[in-house]
Amino acid sequence: MDAQAQRVLPPSGRAPAKGTGDAGGDLAELEDDLLVERAAEGDDDAFAVLVDRHSPPLLALALRMLGSLPDAEEAVQDALINAWRRLPDFHRDATFRTWMYRIVTNQCLSHLRGRAPAVPLSVVPEPPAHDPGSEPARAAESEAATQALGRALRDLPPSQRACWILRELHGMSYAEIAQIVNTSEQTVRGRLYRARRTLMKEMAPWR
Amino acid sequence: MALGDREVTHPRGQPGAAQPDPARLVGDERLPCGHLVSQAWEDARTGRADPHLANCPHCRQAVEGLAALDRATRTLRAYLPSARSVADHVIRAVRAEARLGWMVPLDDPERDLRVAETTAARVLRRAADRIPGVRAASCRLAPADDATGVTVAMTLAMTLDQSLPGRAGQVRRAVADAAQRELGLAVSGIDLNVASVLQLLSAPVRGASPSHDRSE
Repeated sequence: MDAQAQRVLPPSGRAPAKGTGDAGGDLAELEDDLLVERAAEGDDDAFAVLVDRHSPPLLALALRMLGSLPDAEEAVQDALINAWRRLPDFHRDATFRTWMYRIVTNQCLSHLRGRAPAVPLSVVPEPPAHDPGSEPARAAESEAATQALGRALRDLPPSQRACWILRELHGMSYAEIAQIVNTSEQTVRGRLYRARRTLMKEMAPWR
Repeated sequence: MALGDREVTHPRGQPGAAQPDPARLVGDERLPCGHLVSQAWEDARTGRADPHLANCPHCRQAVEGLAALDRATRTLRAYLPSARSVADHVIRAVRAEARLGWMVPLDDPERDLRVAETTAARVLRRAADRIPGVRAASCRLAPADDATGVTVAMTLAMTLDQSLPGRAGQVRRAVADAAQRELGLAVSGIDLNVASVLQLLSAPVRGASPSHDRSE
């Protein structure tokens, strides 16, 4: 084959780029495994479905870990683009979901290690605590309590924080968490116990 | 029973609710009354009518803050920031650095035209995807012995409501047809492997599912 004479055809196999849906049929209904196999061979439509599917919980994880939405968005973007590049070498000894959680958690932990003293807590916005049915005073108290939890969370050591978030906000099993933070289940259980004790102490004033 | 792992702590089908897990947390402490801290937590959460819990100052102190923590946790769990702009950014970046794979020769020896393997594979996968109850997984192209010939190796996921050989025949024809008409490849062999059972996550594919075909 004469490499000099090669002419690259434009990527004709793709529908006009709009959104992620149409090209390649009904990819949104496929399970992760199949999408991962296609994406690993360079099918960016398949990867787009994985991104749509997994980015909301990953962003929630990063936001709770870092306490800042711009930082969280950057961490998740970097993690996903990294994953696209590393997909051909992904051996699927874990699920794609667990693998992505691991990449994002690591990204957040190294971000926190490299960070100067944390952002002043007073400037970190908290989500409003939606409580539309009740009286305003009650809603305000509930919102304040949620903010208090957000602050207490950010005061936890990052390794405890990661375990608590994965367990309590993302419903992960101990085994999954151990895989994600690369430690033993025993260690995960210890961190969870200490995290919960600390958080309860912080939340005790809120009835 | 681990503390806080009962369904009661994550009411009714909350997304992200922790599953029951029989193991205990590490570091559990025994209170002066003889109960474990974790047991006090568990009793408080399940609301079990336990006269000890109601009267024991140690247990009552051990569960202080638990209800407030659980409430605030539920609120945090329900809050999902929009990831739309993150996803859009990632998808744009990924499309911009699309991988080409090797350059596959078209059936036009005189002009030596080629197409990127990923592009060809995309077209061939889509041809397979169009057969009801079939989705392509891997699709690789390799040079055949002659100058411009190629062989296709594809793995498939299929539903099990029709005979596999019959479906495989449909896929083979669809792939051969797309290779020739849409791409202009000289395919000298198509190797199909059914690697898994196809399970779709939601409703059947827009009126084209195998079950539809049967019932109509």
